[in-house]
Amino acid sequence: MPGWGSQSEPKPPCPPVEAGTGANLGRVAPQDARPRTADGNAFVLPAVVFLLLFTVFPFLFTVALSFSRVSLVGGLQLSFVGLANWERLVSDARFWTSLANTAALVAGAVSLEVVLGFGLALLVHTTPKGAGLFRVLFLIPMSLTPIAVGYMWRMLLNETIGPLNALLRAVGLPPVGWVSAGLVPLFSMILVDVWQWTPFVFVVCLAALQALPDEVVEAAELDGASRGQLLRYVVLPWMVPTLVAAGFLRAVEAFKIVDTIFIVTGGGPGTRTESLTLHAYYVGLHAFDLAYGATIALALFLLVGGAAWAALGLTRRVRLREAWP
Amino acid sequence: MRGSASWWKPLGALGLVGLSLLPAWGATQRPYEGVTLTVITQSPPYIAKPVQMFGPAWERRTGGRINLVTTPFGELYQRIMSGFTLGAGGFDVLIFASAWMGDFAGNRYLLDITERVRADRGLQWDDILPTYQQTVNWGGRLYGLPVDGDVHLVYYRRDVLSNPRHRQEFQRRFGRELRPPQTWVEYREIAEFFQGTDWAGDGRRRYGVLEAFRRGGQAFWFFMSHAAPYVCPPGLKGCLFFDPDTMRPQINNPGFVRALEEWTRLVRLGPPGMINFDSGDVRSQFAAGVAVLAKDWGDTGIVGSTDPKSVVKGRVGTVVLPGSLEVYNYRTRSWTRLSRPNVAPYLAFGGWVCGVAATTRHPSAAYDFCRTLASPQNSYVAVTTSETGFNPFRASHFRNLEGWRRFGFVEPDLSSYLTAIERSLSHPNAQLDLKLPGQARYLDALETQLARAAAGQATPQQALDAAAAEWERITNELGRDRQRRLYRAWLGLPE
Repeated sequence: MPGWGSQSEPKPPCPPVEAGTGANLGRVAPQDARPRTADGNAFVLPAVVFLLLFTVFPFLFTVALSFSRVSLVGGLQLSFVGLANWERLVSDARFWTSLANTAALVAGAVSLEVVLGFGLALLVHTTPKGAGLFRVLFLIPMSLTPIAVGYMWRMLLNETIGPLNALLRAVGLPPVGWVSAGLVPLFSMILVDVWQWTPFVFVVCLAALQALPDEVVEAAELDGASRGQLLRYVVLPWMVPTLVAAGFLRAVEAFKIVDTIFIVTGGGPGTRTESLTLHAYYVGLHAFDLAYGATIALALFLLVGGAAWAALGLTRRVRLREAWP
Repeated sequence: MRGSASWWKPLGALGLVGLSLLPAWGATQRPYEGVTLTVITQSPPYIAKPVQMFGPAWERRTGGRINLVTTPFGELYQRIMSGFTLGAGGFDVLIFASAWMGDFAGNRYLLDITERVRADRGLQWDDILPTYQQTVNWGGRLYGLPVDGDVHLVYYRRDVLSNPRHRQEFQRRFGRELRPPQTWVEYREIAEFFQGTDWAGDGRRRYGVLEAFRRGGQAFWFFMSHAAPYVCPPGLKGCLFFDPDTMRPQINNPGFVRALEEWTRLVRLGPPGMINFDSGDVRSQFAAGVAVLAKDWGDTGIVGSTDPKSVVKGRVGTVVLPGSLEVYNYRTRSWTRLSRPNVAPYLAFGGWVCGVAATTRHPSAAYDFCRTLASPQNSYVAVTTSETGFNPFRASHFRNLEGWRRFGFVEPDLSSYLTAIERSLSHPNAQLDLKLPGQARYLDALETQLARAAAGQATPQQALDAAAAEWERITNELGRDRQRRLYRAWLGLPE
């Protein structure tokens, strides 16, 4: 057969491997691998440069700023001041107030989002009629930009001409000081966050519910489980890791809340709705106290990092318990 | 052939000379051909609009191009500063708040244009009111051109204050005539009188006063307007901000505390949620007929009298900021009681100015663009056009009324409006806004504490003590001696 040579002289399909020990193989392998590694490095290099430029360097610069005093005379000049900015942070009442506001906002908003998101997902999952429409409707708030959401809610919560108070007046109820009265503005901000981000938890939970094997549910039903028992002993254990993960992701995001608060209340009245990020913005980019602004931002990073670490530990423990009850 | 050559050669040479001169002629006609100026200012419409109005004509006249960069007001300072400090701005022309002059000129980020202004007759520098000439002056040199005049004024509903029923009732309750307020106490009493009543007679509850209390929403200037007559007896330098000898803050002295007590009482005398109002809310709500009184820059008068949606057109009176019958002297540490109000109009914000970046590669073109905005003709068009954000700053702006009438103003609103501005600017006790490096930091520190006092999170004394402590820290950080020297120079005091 032309082209394949004579069958009497079969040619080896691969170059013959040298007879010998593994040492030979060991010598051949690096020779093959070396050029491949070099190519790989070249391909990875842009990503490494990008990371260094846009992630590592800004982070290190922020760390350096937090131990510096910044002078703007004749360009940006840093002088080392040790822990002065951190000492100021510890004694800054406004920092602690904004931290307390952020903690309250995260705790309030995320817990409501998890409960409502899960509830809505259950509802849509168990009500097939019109589920597609609801799924789309629930996703709308999440797809809006925080600035647009902020302006929308600023109008809705307007105490003089806003529709919420108009509605209350129409049904004979007194108007509410949504953005002015005591602690109400903080609740208003929780309401805004819940409105925008419950859909995220909803989507995650719906996906997890749809992944729940039908056999498990059917087996429980055959065993005579009521709807409550099904939820308590089958659905909830299945959902716990998802709920923890969704709550964790939302908490990390909520810790950084700034745009909607900036638009709706500006952190006011007083400092009652000022979040840590907004505080850092005002200090660093409004008053242009770059060093102290960086210190607040770094403190926020450490706090969120600590919370994330704790939450991941919790998730792992939950998973272990799920695996070995 | 030879004969014919003798006549066309000189003609040809003449033609060649003419052709060679054409580019020079073109250069004279369009001197900045190929030059692109990057202009930074606030997002449209306000302040950016004049650039959009006069930019195309400047481009046609000079051959240059304008690249307009805008950013919201809250981010403008940091955008410019970060551009300067990191050398990444690339701006040629900056239209910015004159209050930032200390940071920009003090750090040598702006070009000294003193000689250009002196040589520029077409600019008519002397037509610019002396108060606003000061806004671009730093250490005796000029670092920009004024393009806007800012002063706080009080607006009132003329129809409501002249209503016989209200006048009678007010006289009965307060034992004095209902008139445009002359003191801040009268201002508050009028607000109290009308708050929550149906003073328009249409069955709706309305409100007394409109002020901006929102942090980041110009609350600093609204409070300072209120405080000036309580702490500034005529001729006392350094009454508003720092003792020029020691740079110790004055903002927590008894005069300021009294002013803050008075100011925070107003929170309950306006529409619900007024604690979160910024100056934009003041303008729109006054034009909507929501309140009897309002304090603001010239914009409330413009919106109220010229906006098609305004329901108060032809009913708006304007007066100089009210005064106080008692004034605190920080030098003698004593109060003086007066028979006539001490008035101290506050040039809040100080107006927008046009400056040339020290790093520009086109200083002549950049200056030329600034003078285009500041020229008598264009500036008159700008101050009499809606949504420019520019208010009168030249003497000629007050003389020619035709443009104001075309703008939509009607009498007696117009006379009242222009007279109040003119009187404020020419008042011997008019107070300039702070112009010092770190101005934004001082402002933010005070505004935070004002917001806390307004929200009831701190008493006026506690809030102002906290602000003063923060001001001390900022001064120490920026260098007390340097700050003192610059502050004294700004006040016109010897070192």
